[in-house]
Formats: sequence, C-alpha cells, structure tokens
Amino acid sequence: MLSWIESIGKAIRDGVEWAGAIATMFLQAIGSGLRRPLGIYDIFYQIVALGVRSLPLATLMGVFVGMALTWQFGEALMGFGAKNAVGSAAALALVRELVPTIMALTVGAKIATGMTAELGSMKVSEQIDAIASLGADPVKKLIWPRLAAATLALPLLCVYGNVLALGGGAVIADAIFDVPAGYFYETYVDELYPMDYISGLVKAICFGMLVGIIGCFQGFQTKFGTEAVGIATTNTVVATSVSIIIMDFILTMIFLPVG
Amino acid sequence: MTVVFQLKHLYKRFGDNVIYEDMNLEIEEGETFTIIGGSGMGKSVCLKLMIGLLPYEGGHVLFKGHEVGDMNREQLRELRRHVSMVFQAGALFDSMSVLENVTYALREHTKMSDEEMLERAKECLDMVGLGYDPDIINRMPAGLSGGMRKRVALARSIAIKPEVILYDEPTTGLDPANINRIGKMIMKLQKELKVTSIVVTHDMPIAFECSDRIAMLWDRKFPYVGNREEIKHNPAEEVRDFIEGRYDENKAE
Repeated sequence: MLSWIESIGKAIRDGVEWAGAIATMFLQAIGSGLRRPLGIYDIFYQIVALGVRSLPLATLMGVFVGMALTWQFGEALMGFGAKNAVGSAAALALVRELVPTIMALTVGAKIATGMTAELGSMKVSEQIDAIASLGADPVKKLIWPRLAAATLALPLLCVYGNVLALGGGAVIADAIFDVPAGYFYETYVDELYPMDYISGLVKAICFGMLVGIIGCFQGFQTKFGTEAVGIATTNTVVATSVSIIIMDFILTMIFLPVG
Repeated sequence: MTVVFQLKHLYKRFGDNVIYEDMNLEIEEGETFTIIGGSGMGKSVCLKLMIGLLPYEGGHVLFKGHEVGDMNREQLRELRRHVSMVFQAGALFDSMSVLENVTYALREHTKMSDEEMLERAKECLDMVGLGYDPDIINRMPAGLSGGMRKRVALARSIAIKPEVILYDEPTTGLDPANINRIGKMIMKLQKELKVTSIVVTHDMPIAFECSDRIAMLWDRKFPYVGNREEIKHNPAEEVRDFIEGRYDENKAE
C-alpha cells in the first residue's frame, strides 16, 4: 500500500518537474527568440519543413473528420426528421473542437516526433554541443525557429482543415442524406459566430506551442545512444497527446462561457 | 609561461556518480597537453568544463584567470571565440555542406563577406590537407569518410583562429594512416598557428608523439602529470598498466 502511494507521489513529482522544465525552456526560447536577429529565415524554413510537408496528412484528416462527423450527426438527426439541420449540428463540433484537436493529435504529433528525432540525433552526435562551442545559442538556433513555426503552422493547418471538413461534410450531406451541398454550407456558416472561429484558432495556437516545445524539449533531453532517440520519440507521442487533451479541456472551460 | 586554463579543487558529478573530486590541473600557453585515462572516467567532461558546456558543483575553472562557471552568455560567446573544440565523431552539422560547416563560426562571430569566408574556408581546408575541391566543399557530411569528417571538423575549429583547441579523442575510429595524419596535423597546427592544444586520447603513440606534457586521470583527479619522458618512465603501477595495455577499468573505481 505504502509503495503504491509512493509511486503515485513520485509520478506526480516527476510530472511537476517535467512541466517546470518545459516551462523554463519555453521562457528561454521566447527570451532568446525575441533578441535580434529574429531568425525569420529559419522560422520560414521550419514552416515549410513542418507545415507544408504535413499538408497530405492534414488534407486526409480534414476531409475524413468532416465526412465521418456529418454522417454520424445525419444518422442521429434523421431519426427526429431533422436531417436538414445536419450542417448546423456539425459546424460547432468541427470548428470549435474536432478539427483543431484531431489536427493537433495527428499532424501535431507527427511534427513533434519529427523534432524530437532530429534534435535527439543531434544531441547524441554532439551537434548541439558543437553549436554552443562555436559560440551560437542552441536555444535560439534550434528551439526558437521550431517553436515559432509550429505555433504558426498549426493554426494555418487548422484553417485549411476546417475548409476541407466543410467540403467533406457537404459531400456526405448531399450524397447520403439528400441535403443539398449549398444548403449544408449555408446552415453550417450561419451557425458559426466569430468567437467560434477564434476559439478554434486559439486552441490551434496553444496546441502548436505545446507541440513545438514538447518536441524540442524531449529532443534536448535525449540520453546517450541511438536507442535513446527511439525512447525520446515514443515519450513525445505520449506527452504531446496527453498535454493536448488536457489543454483542450482547459481551453473549452474558458471559451464555453464566453461563446 | 602564462597559464591558459587552471582547474582548482574541482568537484563535478552526474547524479550520484562523482567524476572529479578536488581535481587540480594547469595548462600553459602554447603547449600541447594530453589527457589520458580509461573510458568513462571523465576525460571529455574535462574539455566540456573548460569551454563551459557543462556546469560544475564546486571548485574553479579559470580561463586566463576568469571563472568560466560565472560567465554570462556574452562572456561565454567570447570564450568560445578563443577556445574551440573538435568533437569525438566530428559533430559536423548534417544539414549543412562542408563549406557551411567550416564557415559556421565565422558567420557567428564576424561580419565577413561570403567571398572572405570562402577564402578563409579554403585556407583552413588546405591546412588540414583537404585542399580546395569544389566537389568536397559542396558535399554533405554524410558523403565523407571518417578521416575526412575529422579533418573538416578540425578545419571548422580553426576557422575562427582560436588560441586554444580542445581535441576530444581525435583519432578514435580511424585507420592507422589517418591516425598518423591527424597526429601530424595537431603538431603542424600548433607550430603554424601557435595554438595551445589540449588532447584527450587513448592512443599512446599519438600522446607520446604530439605532447609536451601528459596528465593521467586516475581516481577522480590527475595524480600523474609530467612531460612525455616523465610519464613514459613513471614507475606507478596504474601508469605502467595504462601505457602497457593492462589497464583494468574496475580497478579505477
């Protein structure tokens, strides 16, 4: 019993320490990032590397999330003879919740693990030490551009995903439930207020920050050997997913009363 | 002789693993100083402490009298302009070409034009025996052999014209021809650039060939420091065992 309590206590302490270390690295990255030069080229390079190369996955996720959710709502609403309301029903769930969250859990996890694997390999091969030994700041050179790029790329991918989800939903509404795509679009857009878009985007920005900082942190924390890179990458998937779900809950609590 | 690095009563640990305890060491300007000792005892740690890549828990690491542990970001940057390091596996940046690797420190520390940097890169590559070959300078590190990687790493470290070069096992993983080449290069750089060289190695022939002084790490400090003849003929059992290849890692604990 005592050891069980001990292990819970240790897990909580480890979690708090991990969160503290992440927060410290986040502040360091912001601090060094805002010093000139801002590293705009590096940020855009990372946006291309992380964001643009995630477009195929984002496309797949956006279309299929829109189609699946519209189908589910359509089936449920048909039972009440309200299938025409499928656009209104799908709009809020997709824009406020599902597209940002699922995009972060899939595309975000891909981005974060990519960062961890890259930075972890650099750590293992002493390239991060080499950057510092040559007089550059590894936080500024490696973490800041990735953090900024993930924070910018995820909302952009979220907007892109929203458009595709709307398209996917319209196809299902028209083909399966006989609700014209134009009507689906009108009811979908009518249901949304600016705050719904804002809440979705704020979520995507926060998820982007989480993805960026966790991916970099885990990479910098990689121990020795190639096996350590694999372990760090696996830990990143878990850490990113759990953090996104918790952050989503917190942001939903904040935005629901506002909306 | 001016002392470049002075390590006084140094205490360093990783978790419960104590690496240095009351360790003392002095390195003089212009000499080639070699650190020998068993694997995992902390030879590379010593170099990383000197260049401020690792913190220490007690004692002093002084570069020309200035405490490395107390340096702020700008002071560390300045230190690393004067002290450069060649890492064990080269640590070349995978995403950059040979030219970009060699000119990295120049871009960080100077306002040289691209042409000036290219000229400097040519000089450095020449100095390490690679010469100016457009095919090589545009190659990515993955396309280089082990010996070439080490030489590019060496060229990168001398590009900024440092006063001190730290070599972390520069001959590990190389064939005998490349080991000789790197050994000769260390001596040549010291002669031509008048740099202070601090070399960590297991390779005794290289240590005896290149060094002015040698220090052996034993029991978390450097009890054996002397010129190469003194170390070569040191009667202490652990020194004899190490030099003659009978070294037992477990005895060092």
